[in-house]
Amino acid sequence: MRVSNLYIAYDKTMILKNINVDIKQHLCILGSNGSGKSTLAKALCGLLPYEGSIQIDNYELFSIPAIERAKKIAYIPSKMESFEQFTTVEEFVLLGRYPYKASFKNYSILDKEIVKEILAELSISNLVSFRLHELSSGQQQLVLIAQALAQKSNILIFDEPTYNLDPKNTTLFVQELKKLRNSFITILITHDIQLASYFNDPVLFLHDKKATLYEKNFFKIEQLSKAYGVNFKENSSFFELDYE
Amino acid sequence: MNKTYIWIILFIFTLLSPFAGTVSLDFNTIFEANSLSQRIFLELRLPRILLAFVVGGTLALAGLLFQTLFRNSLMTPFTLGVSGGAVLGAGISIKLGLTLVFGLSAVSLFGFLGAFSTVILLIVLSRYLKKAEQESLLLLGIALSFFYTSALMVIFYLSSFTETATIMRFTMGSLSIVGYKSLLTISIFSALFLTLLYLKRFELQLLSISDEQAALKGVNTKRLTYLFLGVSSLAIGVLVSLTGPIGFIGLIIPHMVRKIYQKPVSTLIFPVFFMGGFFLLACDTLTRLISTGSEIPIGVVTALIGGPFFIYLIIAKQKY
Repeated sequence: MRVSNLYIAYDKTMILKNINVDIKQHLCILGSNGSGKSTLAKALCGLLPYEGSIQIDNYELFSIPAIERAKKIAYIPSKMESFEQFTTVEEFVLLGRYPYKASFKNYSILDKEIVKEILAELSISNLVSFRLHELSSGQQQLVLIAQALAQKSNILIFDEPTYNLDPKNTTLFVQELKKLRNSFITILITHDIQLASYFNDPVLFLHDKKATLYEKNFFKIEQLSKAYGVNFKENSSFFELDYE
Repeated sequence: MNKTYIWIILFIFTLLSPFAGTVSLDFNTIFEANSLSQRIFLELRLPRILLAFVVGGTLALAGLLFQTLFRNSLMTPFTLGVSGGAVLGAGISIKLGLTLVFGLSAVSLFGFLGAFSTVILLIVLSRYLKKAEQESLLLLGIALSFFYTSALMVIFYLSSFTETATIMRFTMGSLSIVGYKSLLTISIFSALFLTLLYLKRFELQLLSISDEQAALKGVNTKRLTYLFLGVSSLAIGVLVSLTGPIGFIGLIIPHMVRKIYQKPVSTLIFPVFFMGGFFLLACDTLTRLISTGSEIPIGVVTALIGGPFFIYLIIAKQKY
């Protein structure tokens, strides 16, 4: 995935200017509140109009039909939303197979097999007939991941994945993410510096409508302080940052 | 409640239905050609039964669609002011003394225009709402309803006694028809609506999560939403213009079916249609069973059952 000269406007206001990044491996997108992280994530999924270029496999994103796009890129929201509380986990994860489904037809046996495998991979086969409202936040997160994996795409975008999770579930999530990183390119959007620094990927830092790419060393305390405009060293008793 | 019992009760009402009415049918002569019983059965009772079924099914389906599409359990074409638009349209045509326009019944045509233009107005207004503000759409619908009611009051004020009575009669909703012409018209649009919803049931299921999630999975959400709204309002517009507003079916039935089936929307299309159809048929049978002399309008009965149910829903804050 290659992003060049990307400009995104929303409601006629420019949100992000001139972003250039070549995503060949994992990437972490950081930035303060309202810096446009989620906007960028939506644009990368093809949900927002943009100027400049976002290319996947040398195709321009907006020229790829929506169905094909869904096979190349999957997005995991921070929270599960559903009007239909009676949907079971299996039915929900099956929706990830939508791009592969023949028009007007039901999901195939193959689709159901794939869902079964994915649930097993994530060790949540026991949840298969649970209804969405019966799940804990941690389980919901895993089910959302399962749905995204069912899309069989190469790139996974995580939008604030730990936002709703307690420390225990965060740890479980990190273990899962570690495994996924072996087979997918992940783009992690987060506020959680601790989580980001754990993986120590290149960081795209959004600030003041612009983006700066840090290939490495972003998580040195001087660098962090500079980027966020806060002296983390003085507050080091609060921010237990020691990742050097 | 067990779904089998519900279907059995509704089935009994269906069997009773042809025999309910001011003139009782003689079962023995019903198969005799040109007997009075047969004529009543074929020309009055049968078309009415079929009409009740199709109308109930379509109203319930429209409720299911609106609730799912806007992810709000109170959204139906009726709470959004569509029926109000139809009534106002019909009121205007009655006040103007129009009977036929282009060979069509003026009341029907104006009723249809009222319903359809309300949907268009809502779509246009909703473009000014932010995505998350589905609640505001409901408020817009309520505001429109109030506006229509007041406008109708003005028409009442200006009307003669007979005009007022005719408009009042229309606002109560009615299934009394003779022959098959309006039944056929409604059936064509209902069939179109049912087919569309069934073919796009999985897209609708994705839309029930969020527009964004549906788009991420490859659904052209904007085009599909407009298609859904267009076809459903066409069906509802035609229907309301012929029967008048029959409220609460679109609200109650999807909730009931969701609760007893506990399944996602993609599997509920036909159950909702059939439940709506049989439910309205049962209500209609009930009105004819208890009526002496003149019939209680069907819209009154559904509202009498629906009102308390609506209150129950709001208090129970059921999240489906």
